[in-house]
Amino acid sequence: MSSADAEAQSAPAFEPIADGRSACQVRLTLFEGPLDLLLHLIRENELEITDLPIAQVATQYLEYLDVLRELHLDVAAEYLVMAATLAWIKSRMLLPVDDETGEAEEIDSRAELIARLLEYQRFKEVAEQLGRRPLLGRDVFAPPGVELEPPAEGEREIEVGLLELVEALRRTLRQARASEAAHEVVTETVTVRERMVAVIDALEQSEVVELDALLREPDGRSSLSLVVATFLAILELARTAALRIYQSIDPSGAPRGPIRLRRAGADLAGAPASV
Amino acid sequence: MEPTERRRIIEALLLASSEPLTAQRIARIVPELSVRELGVEIDALNAEYESTVRAFRIEEIGGGYQLRTLPELAPWLAELQPAPPLRLSRPALETLAIVAYKQPLTRAEIEQVRGVDVGAVLRSLLERRLVRIAGHREVPGRPILYATTRRFLEVFGLAELADLPTLREIEELLRERAAEAVEEPAALAAALAVAAPAEDDVGFDDDEPDDDADSFARGH
Repeated sequence: MSSADAEAQSAPAFEPIADGRSACQVRLTLFEGPLDLLLHLIRENELEITDLPIAQVATQYLEYLDVLRELHLDVAAEYLVMAATLAWIKSRMLLPVDDETGEAEEIDSRAELIARLLEYQRFKEVAEQLGRRPLLGRDVFAPPGVELEPPAEGEREIEVGLLELVEALRRTLRQARASEAAHEVVTETVTVRERMVAVIDALEQSEVVELDALLREPDGRSSLSLVVATFLAILELARTAALRIYQSIDPSGAPRGPIRLRRAGADLAGAPASV
Repeated sequence: MEPTERRRIIEALLLASSEPLTAQRIARIVPELSVRELGVEIDALNAEYESTVRAFRIEEIGGGYQLRTLPELAPWLAELQPAPPLRLSRPALETLAIVAYKQPLTRAEIEQVRGVDVGAVLRSLLERRLVRIAGHREVPGRPILYATTRRFLEVFGLAELADLPTLREIEELLRERAAEAVEEPAALAAALAVAAPAEDDVGFDDDEPDDDADSFARGH
């Protein structure tokens, strides 16, 4: 029985005191997955990844998972898959080698694990370097810029209501139906998520985009599924305040001219605080 | 046009733009200015800012130029921000790193490297426009391919993707660090200390059997 087991039995699992056990709990949450935990074990024992002693690492890895269970924390499935992989490699190494294929298999899975660890370690380092760069909106700031499209004389921007949007949808759907009748039907799935990305991309290119331009493909074609998906995408983006929807009004106050989408203010201001 | 006047115009354009301005765009606006000359003027402006201890400099970002405040002023500017400052978690940074180097790639390929599910992180990166969908891989299931955006370059202050260190450089850095970590205990062992060998692997083999034995004793 490991020392962690003994500690866990001596006190209830979630006592909010700064003893060794709760420190352990905090530290465990810092691992970003089984590969991260393995790298930590390797570093702590001053081991070389390329010369990985599977038996030792497997034992310690399983001890960590035991501690997690003792603390009644959910162990994510990925950790269990890795535990199984380690146990399997270890068992293959303990068994006498029957034939040459068996040995080759064991060497392969160990080599594969080492390759994955090395690759993960590289990207972990890149991530740390990225995190140390001066980030726009955190460490450095750029001018917010001037209004690119000031409203013309006698016009003012209003926020378009749902009715106008539905009317635009109805009109475009009618056109889409008409154009589909003339074309061969091509089955193509368009997802709302794809269209959200397309709308965001368009707004990244230019701050103001006309609604009609988004309701067709770059080559001018349109389809019912494209129109519906784009429409839902725009509503979803408007709901999350990623964009605003505008239309001009004439002197009598009636909406006039194309419906335009505008990227919502400062880019990062509306975004959630963290990923 | 006087060089000082040209520089003033360039400065005004950068001050009024919410996005990095490409050299071509600036050259189109400012008369008698070639893209090559622009680089010289930008350097001159930056030298001027530095010598007069200004709060900003012109950075090359995502293929364009942008005026940016200096990092050391961040604590004061943070007070001005209406929203909490941009925070990127470790899963987000790791996912971004993998996408940046291996793009375009599928979600499964990212998960293969990280060893964990990346659905939620990827969705969040998409919503923050740091990652975009770059089409489908033409294999059964047509999985979505992901790539980084121009916004990614802007947020991380990169002129282009090639500004990131190469994976070979990262590997060398990790190897050096590992060599240092091994060197320290060796140095404590005084007389037995061996100078770091050029081929690290050879050196590590000598040190390891002892470490293994210790760890085993602790583990059981």
